[in-house]
Amino acid sequence: MKRSDTAHTDAIDCDAGAIVTKGITKRYGSFTALENVDMIVPRGTIFGLLGPNGAGKTTMIKVLTALIPADAGSACVSGHDVRREPKLVRADIGWVAAEVILDDDLSAMENLWLQAKLQNLSDWKNRALDLLRYFELYDRRNSRVSQFSTGMRKKLEIALALLHQPRVIFMDEPTIGLDPGTRRMLWQLITGINREYGVTILLTSHYIEEADALCSNLAIIDHGRIVATGTPSELKSRVKADIVEIALNYEPDMPTFAHMDGVQEAARTENGMRLKVASSESVLPRILSCLNIDGVLKINVDKPSLETVFIDLTGKRLSDDEGRMDMRKFYATLRMTRR
Amino acid sequence: MRNATLNQFYGLLAREIKKTYRNPWIIAITVVQPFMWLAFFGSSFSSAPKSFLEGFFHTYSYVAFLLPGVLSTSMLTVGMFGSMSTIQDKRFGYMKRILLTPTDKATIFVAKSMGSTTRGMVQLPVMATAAALFGVSFPLNPVLWLGWIAALFFLGLGFSSLFMALTVASTDWQTPGVISNFITMPLMFSSTALFPQANFPAWMRAISAVNPVTFSATFGRTIVLGGSIDWTLLAYLALFAAMMLFIGSVMATKWLKVE
Repeated sequence: MKRSDTAHTDAIDCDAGAIVTKGITKRYGSFTALENVDMIVPRGTIFGLLGPNGAGKTTMIKVLTALIPADAGSACVSGHDVRREPKLVRADIGWVAAEVILDDDLSAMENLWLQAKLQNLSDWKNRALDLLRYFELYDRRNSRVSQFSTGMRKKLEIALALLHQPRVIFMDEPTIGLDPGTRRMLWQLITGINREYGVTILLTSHYIEEADALCSNLAIIDHGRIVATGTPSELKSRVKADIVEIALNYEPDMPTFAHMDGVQEAARTENGMRLKVASSESVLPRILSCLNIDGVLKINVDKPSLETVFIDLTGKRLSDDEGRMDMRKFYATLRMTRR
Repeated sequence: MRNATLNQFYGLLAREIKKTYRNPWIIAITVVQPFMWLAFFGSSFSSAPKSFLEGFFHTYSYVAFLLPGVLSTSMLTVGMFGSMSTIQDKRFGYMKRILLTPTDKATIFVAKSMGSTTRGMVQLPVMATAAALFGVSFPLNPVLWLGWIAALFFLGLGFSSLFMALTVASTDWQTPGVISNFITMPLMFSSTALFPQANFPAWMRAISAVNPVTFSATFGRTIVLGGSIDWTLLAYLALFAAMMLFIGSVMATKWLKVE
């Protein structure tokens, strides 16, 4: 297979990582979905792209898989220039969707057969059977997918993504809508295939704990821009503070809190305020003493974590209402695909 | 690369065929519909005097006249299924799964068109059996039958490609139905599928003269009623299929999207 180590655009070094982007920009009319995104995903890692709905995660995956062209910038996936060599990119990537996309009218083996045909694999059967064994689907290989549970369908989808031995797998919110047990099972599978098959995984997620558990490297994306990158511990070390969020039913006197000893930052939120404090244990009594306790609806304290990093960088939580809306969309799609 | 395209084409075509024939409703309708055509429409001239039938249809059996026309009309509508299958794949995300492999959009287009054509071809043996039960006798020359199969295949492929081309950018479930209504009725009634063109007005005769359904119906009648084959008509139908396939492939390459 030919690698594009000479035919690069805009002096991008395709060998710098499994995925390399430089200045990627994508606009839909006047809306900028991605703005000047530079990113390097090291080979063999699980790389998390973390951001709320509409942040640009899915657009980024579409650009990287050559489904849509970027308006500006360059990208390489597995050593191939996405714009110039889309077929080579697609031959070397796998994909796992949020919604579980399989052909329900076909059996597990037939789904794998079709994937083998589309990827032009001649010797696929043994690998397909190995994958079915690995994912504990071997006994159900001839059953129609419509009879599978959501967890089994997810496993089969990952098996499809691995069949042609890709070097990069894109997982677009792979655990959204799954129950905690299935989600943890998938986490184990994702780390397992990363270790066992040495494949690079780009994973987008809403879930902080998922990124923390799985990813060795992270990029936080908001409004189409990468706002931070690093390992989870590097990112956590950036925010050496606790975040105190207080929901109130009255207008707080912000200067009082902003100038309070131990408070690093104070910001008004939709229904109260958010304070960045050195130590919540020592500052919280002082904060409470300045509040009208009858008007306090809720207090939330976050110790340094990826969630506090995200709040610090974007001013909002990752696990917000948008995530729940996506769940409804997910279930609606699942019902449709199952007919 | 050619081998890859053939593999991808075969995989997608096999998927279309498997999906179609695993649906018991499709099988039932495929079998029942031809009987209904011949029973209800074919019987509409059953009490007509023989002299009228001979003068107007050039045969004593209206069913024998109707059969090639109904088969041609069936092939006219099969393209709708290819369009619906494409829209379903887009809406359920499966098109994204296909397009995230090295498969060309033109290959997807051709496989979908061939899939719906194949679905339509099943009607030939079913309908011929039904017609035989209604008393129609057929020539036994296999060349004539192969020619008829080829003609219907070309007609189906041409119209499947036309349908797909017109709906390639759509994700709306209703589009294939609207397009079908828009295309089917004028093409069916301006052809000789149901009636000879002797009494058509001049403008309708002009449309009928270039209508592929007319060519297919006439081709079938030369076989059923005359026991002979008209290779010129077959060549015209092959040209029609090739043109539609080419135009549709170009349009699919340009406009077929994942959603």
